[in-house]
Amino acid sequence: MPKEIKVTVAQTSCKIADKQDNIEKIRKNIRQAKGKAADLVIFPELSLTGYVCKDLAYELAEPVPGPSTRLIEKEARKNNIHIIFGMLEKSIKAEAVLYNTAVLIGPKGFIGKYQKTHLPTHSVFEEKRYFRPGYAAPIFKTEIGNLGMIICYDIYFPEITRLLRLQGAQLIACISASPSIRRGFFEVLTAARAMENTVFLAFANLAGIENGLQFWGGSRIIAPSGSIVKQAKYDEEDIIMAKINYSDLERVEVFVPVLRDLRPEFFTKLKELAENL
Amino acid sequence: MKLTEEALKLDSATTATRIKRFIKDYVKKTKARGIVLGLSGGIDSSTTAAITSLAIGGNNVLALTLPEQETYNPTDIKHTKQLAKKFGFNTQTIDITPILKAYAHTIPTFDPTDKLTKGNLKARIRMTIIYYYANHQQRIVCGSSDKSETMMGYFTKYGDVAADISPLMDLYKTQVRQLASHIGIPKQIITKPSTPLLWPGHLAEKELGIKYELLDLILLGLENFMPTKDIAQQLGLPLEQINEIKTKWLSKEHKRRPPLTIKLGYRTIGADFRLPYTLH
Repeated sequence: MPKEIKVTVAQTSCKIADKQDNIEKIRKNIRQAKGKAADLVIFPELSLTGYVCKDLAYELAEPVPGPSTRLIEKEARKNNIHIIFGMLEKSIKAEAVLYNTAVLIGPKGFIGKYQKTHLPTHSVFEEKRYFRPGYAAPIFKTEIGNLGMIICYDIYFPEITRLLRLQGAQLIACISASPSIRRGFFEVLTAARAMENTVFLAFANLAGIENGLQFWGGSRIIAPSGSIVKQAKYDEEDIIMAKINYSDLERVEVFVPVLRDLRPEFFTKLKELAENL
Repeated sequence: MKLTEEALKLDSATTATRIKRFIKDYVKKTKARGIVLGLSGGIDSSTTAAITSLAIGGNNVLALTLPEQETYNPTDIKHTKQLAKKFGFNTQTIDITPILKAYAHTIPTFDPTDKLTKGNLKARIRMTIIYYYANHQQRIVCGSSDKSETMMGYFTKYGDVAADISPLMDLYKTQVRQLASHIGIPKQIITKPSTPLLWPGHLAEKELGIKYELLDLILLGLENFMPTKDIAQQLGLPLEQINEIKTKWLSKEHKRRPPLTIKLGYRTIGADFRLPYTLH
């Protein structure tokens, strides 16, 4: 496994419900990332369809792996690159069970997926109306490091990132569709999740406007110390790249040894209290 | 939360940027040839005309001034001309008096003393002209309703509120004033009393029975799920007054929604037919 990898975040805007158009944009950004010798390119939440699909979600969702992931696999093979992107997933066991999913593909094909575990259903968000929450937070041991994935609102729940870190995640991709009114929260939370777990975190947010929801962009690659290594423009489409060196994890863990100092005895109490809120 | 002037303070620069981006994005995605709007010379329509011009260029904005005899105000007309010069948008003035008279002659039950119904008719006549231009010139209709008036139902259904986009609708009146000041709307437009222009001497604050500075704080409290007794206590107002405003807000929801229908089918328009507003 290399010590150093090049991570690219492609901050795209989407055409609602137009997979062909969005896949073309994904292809273009993959080529651009490859041009910069990137090892990994990360796209935002639901970057295959756009975020505001509402009832169209049923007809847009596909199995994972499935037809669209196969198209992206071709690009990964051709460009010898790892890709993370978001899409609407349809269960292969039922007709109308959907997930909000992050997909990881490598040069050798489909690697794995993460189904969003925390579904926002408040304010302008209505995800529980459409999606079943995921029940797992796996990490993937790849040629470019141990990768974990979370999606947008998951960032408000420190448990999920910690779960990934405790399984050995070195880099966590948080793919997102965060609107402007939430920018202040995400700027704090993305840094906090990296810092409190001493882990690299790449935040890939949508840009552009969908049905009056303006996504604030501001994608970023954050070091385990919480500092921003590279940040994309606010509001507009952009692509950023940064080298990350996994040996930094040791240096930061020595300086702020949060994992060493974990107190698991509190976790049982947390569980009890959360179950009886 | 504390209901103070501070709570309504707007980050005007950021808001202006977001609104301009929203307008520009919508016009681009719909491939419209520009924007058409009604311009009375009041603060809301003046701000809308100015911000749309800043967003897509004044040469792409057509502001229709649609006066009629009864409520004709030369100062308002003067203000629209000043504004057009400053922000570079196109204007057209059409006197709607003959159309109103034609309605009066055509409708057998037309009652000239029913000023509210006649006033609403004026607003709907204006709407038809604005949409004529929109259809004919492939423009988008940009509404200028603000949040205070929309929450209170203080508008004409299918009249002044009719539009394709309404970029100020999430801003209270006092916030529109802040935005207006930030983008350079002349002070005399910002400070003159608001009027829906439905009949002579028609003043918004007089009809609503409250100053916007206070109304906006009450509405902000309601927006934030505050109990009416807490709002009354904080603002030192009688509970009955707050309850009355709350009732008005709730009872006017029908003006803000598609028409109510009976649920008969699998998915019903306005109920559980949930589709993206646009496909872009």
